[in-house]
Amino acid sequence: MLDLSRVQKELVDCNRDKSSGVSIDLVGDQLSHLAGTISGPIGTPYEGGVFRIDIRLPDGYPFEPPKMQFVTKVWHPNISSQNGAICLDILKDQWSPALTLKTALLSLQALLSAPEPDDPQDAVVAQQYLRDYPTFLGTARYWTEAFARRVSIGTEEKVQKLVEMGFPEALVRTTLENAGGDENMALEKLCSG
Amino acid sequence: MGWIKVITKESLLVAQREDLRNIMDLLEVSEKHARTLLIHHRWDADSLLAVFLEKERDRLFSEAGVTIAEPNVLAPLQSSQVTCNICNEDVSADAVTTMDCGHGFCNNCWTEHFIVKINDGQSRRIRCMFYKCNTICDEAIVRNLVSAKHPDLAERFDRFLLESYIEDNHKVKWCPSVPHCGNAIRVDGDGYCEVECSCGLQFCFSCSAEAHSPCSCLMWELWVKKCRDESETVNWITVNTKPCPRCLKPVEKNGGCNHVRCICGQDFCWLCGCAADQHHARSSCGSYKEEREKKTGQAKRDLFRYMHYYNRYKAHTDSLKLESKLKKAIQDMETISDSKEFSIKDFSWLTNGLYRLFRSRRVLSYSYPFAFYMFGDDLFKDEMTPEERELKQHLFEDLQQQLGANVEKLSHFIEESFDEFLQVDRIMGIRMQVINLSALIDNLCKKMYEFIENDLLGRLERVTHNIAPYESKGVERASELSDSWDSDDSLSMKTCNVDSYLQWDSSANGAGSSESGSPTDDSFDQSSSLDESGCSSRKRAKKEALDDPPFNLNLPAEGFDKN
Ligand SMILES: [Zn+2]
Ligand SMILES: [Zn+2]
Ligand SMILES: [Zn+2]
Ligand SMILES: [Zn+2]
Ligand SMILES: [Zn+2]
Ligand SMILES: [Zn+2]
Ligand SMILES: [Zn+2]
Repeated sequence: MLDLSRVQKELVDCNRDKSSGVSIDLVGDQLSHLAGTISGPIGTPYEGGVFRIDIRLPDGYPFEPPKMQFVTKVWHPNISSQNGAICLDILKDQWSPALTLKTALLSLQALLSAPEPDDPQDAVVAQQYLRDYPTFLGTARYWTEAFARRVSIGTEEKVQKLVEMGFPEALVRTTLENAGGDENMALEKLCSG
Repeated sequence: MGWIKVITKESLLVAQREDLRNIMDLLEVSEKHARTLLIHHRWDADSLLAVFLEKERDRLFSEAGVTIAEPNVLAPLQSSQVTCNICNEDVSADAVTTMDCGHGFCNNCWTEHFIVKINDGQSRRIRCMFYKCNTICDEAIVRNLVSAKHPDLAERFDRFLLESYIEDNHKVKWCPSVPHCGNAIRVDGDGYCEVECSCGLQFCFSCSAEAHSPCSCLMWELWVKKCRDESETVNWITVNTKPCPRCLKPVEKNGGCNHVRCICGQDFCWLCGCAADQHHARSSCGSYKEEREKKTGQAKRDLFRYMHYYNRYKAHTDSLKLESKLKKAIQDMETISDSKEFSIKDFSWLTNGLYRLFRSRRVLSYSYPFAFYMFGDDLFKDEMTPEERELKQHLFEDLQQQLGANVEKLSHFIEESFDEFLQVDRIMGIRMQVINLSALIDNLCKKMYEFIENDLLGRLERVTHNIAPYESKGVERASELSDSWDSDDSLSMKTCNVDSYLQWDSSANGAGSSESGSPTDDSFDQSSSLDESGCSSRKRAKKEALDDPPFNLNLPAEGFDKN
C-alpha cells in the first residue's frame, strides 16, 4: 500500500521551500496522482518556461519509483517529443527509497540543464543535439516559447473555471488539450460526454 | 575434453556449495560475500581470482557490492528511539537493521524494499536502500525479514539465489528439452561441445540448439533460418516459376498474360523477367534482356546452389531417420536368436556397425550446410581467393564423397544382414565388411574434421568459427553430479537412450565375450520389451546388475569396431 503519511509529508516539505523552482500539487483527491512543476533553468533554452509533470505513485512507493512524464511539450534528447516520456536512471533502476519526489523533480531540472544525448529517449532530438547544436538550441527555445511560457497560465485559468463547474481536473485538461485550448468547445465536449 | 555433468534439482545445491567453499577458503570471506562475489562474476571462479590478483581486494569487493563491516559501524545504536529516513516513523533501535555499509533503516522499510525487489526478479542483487549505495544486502537479513511477513516469498528468494548458479553461469546451461526435464548441464572445459542430458536430449552446449557439428553455431543458425525461408521457394521451383526481380521469390504465371505481379507487389514482365509497371514495348523488352538474364541467372544460381546442398542434407537426415528403425530390429533379432538355437548369437558387430552408421550419417548430413557456408559468399566472401576456394572445395568434396559412398555401402550391408534367410557364410562375409567399413568410415570422419579444423576454419583471419570436435564414440553423455565428483574419474551413465548399448557393449568386451556363439550374458531377460524411451528394459536391467561400471568415454573407436 502507498505510504500516505510519507507522501503528505513530502508535499508539505517540497512546497514549503519556494526557492527551489519545483513544486507539487494534488491533481484530484487521490494522493497517488500528483502534478509537479519545474521552472526552466536559467541559461538554458528552457529558461522562462514552466514545465508540468504528471506524477503517478505506484502502490509500492517509495520502494518503487514514481512514474513521471512531461505534460508540457519539450525538445530535449532525454525526453520524448511525442509523449513526454523521460529517460532518467533514478526513475528506473537507480531509484532509491531514500530519494523523494522533490529530489526527483530537481533531478529533472538538472537534466534540462545537462542533457545526456548518449543515452537518448528521443533519437531525433539526440541526433540534432549532437550534429547540429545551433538548430537544436533554436528548436528547444522555440518549443519553450510555444508550449511552456507562463502565458499558458491562461490555460490554467480555463482549467480552474471548468474544474469549478464540477468536472474532474484530469478530464478537463485532456479535453481542453484535445479542443486545442478552445474553452467553449471543451465545455461542450465535457457536457456531452 | 571437458567434464560434463548433469545438475539435477537435487544436486544444484551441492554444485553451488562446491564453488562457494572454494572462494570462501581462498579469499577468506563469509558464504554470503562469496556468493555476492561469484554472482557478480557470473560464477566464474577463475576470472574472479584473476581480478583478485590484478586489483586490490577492496576494489574487487566494492565493485561486486561487498562491504566488509567495520566493527564500530555495527556498534549498537545509542539512543533507544530512531527516526527512519524513509517512512519518517520513530522506531525503537532494535527495530532498525543496519547493513554492512552502515546504512540503517527500519525493518518495515527493509522488508518492503526486499519484497519489491524479489517480485521484480532481482533477488540476486538486492542493493542497499541508500541512494547510490552499491552494497548488496545480506542474504540472511533478507531471508529473515521477508519470511516473517511472506514465507512463500522467502522461499522464492532462496530459489532465485540457487538458480543464479545456472542462469548467471557461463559453464552451466539449462537442458533445452521441452517439456523441460528439470536438469542443467555443466561443462568444465571447452564450451564448444555437444552434450547429452540424462533425459536423452543431445544438444550443442554453445548455442543450445540441436547438435550440429561440423557446422559452427552461426552457420547452423543461418541454415535453420534459410531452410525456413526457402522451403516455399524450393517447392515452387519444381513447377514453372520465375524469380521476382525485387524479392527473388519465384512467381507463378497466372493465365496467358505476360505481365505478372509478385506477392510483394512487384510487377514484372514474364518474358524478360524485368520490373515493369505495364506491358512494356517489345523493343525495351529485348534491350534489357542480357543484363536481366545475368541477374535472374544469378538469383537462380543461388537458389540452385542452395538446393544442391539442401537436398543432400535432407537425404542424409531422412536416411538417418529410416535407419534408426533398425535399432529396434536388432533388438528383436537378439531376442529371437536368444530363444532359438541360432548359430550366430553375438551381434555386437552389428550394433557397432549401426552405431557407426548413425554417427557418420550425422556428420555427413551436417557437412552439407557446412559446405554451403564455407564455400559460399554469405560468411567468408573475402577470406579466400577464388582459386584457393575452388581448390579447397574440391578437396572437401572428395572427402565428403568418399565418406558418402562408404556410408551407403555400410547401410546396404547392415540392411542385408536383416535378411532371415541368409546363409551363415554370407553373414560372416557381411560381418567382415561391416567391421572393416566401420573402421574406415570412422577414419574418414576424422580426416574430414581435421581438414575442417586445420585447413578451413583454422585459416579464417577475420572471424572465428568454433565447432564441437569429432567424437568417434558419439556425443558425451553428462554424468550425475555427486559430492565427490571432482576426484571421480569414472563417468557413470544412468540414462537410457539411443547410444546406451555402448556401455553394455564395452562391458561385454571386458567380460571377454567372444564371437563363438556363447551367450554374452546369462542375465538376459527374454521377455524384454521396449519402454517409451526406446530402450529395452533388458539392457537397463543388465546395467543395474553391473552397478554402473566405470566407462572411459575416451576409449579409442577401434575398441568398438574390433570385435
Ligand atoms: Zn522505515
Ligand atoms: Zn548502504
Ligand atoms: Zn534434459
Ligand atoms: Zn551450436
Ligand atoms: Zn516480389
Ligand atoms: Zn496483360
Ligand atoms: Zn520484358
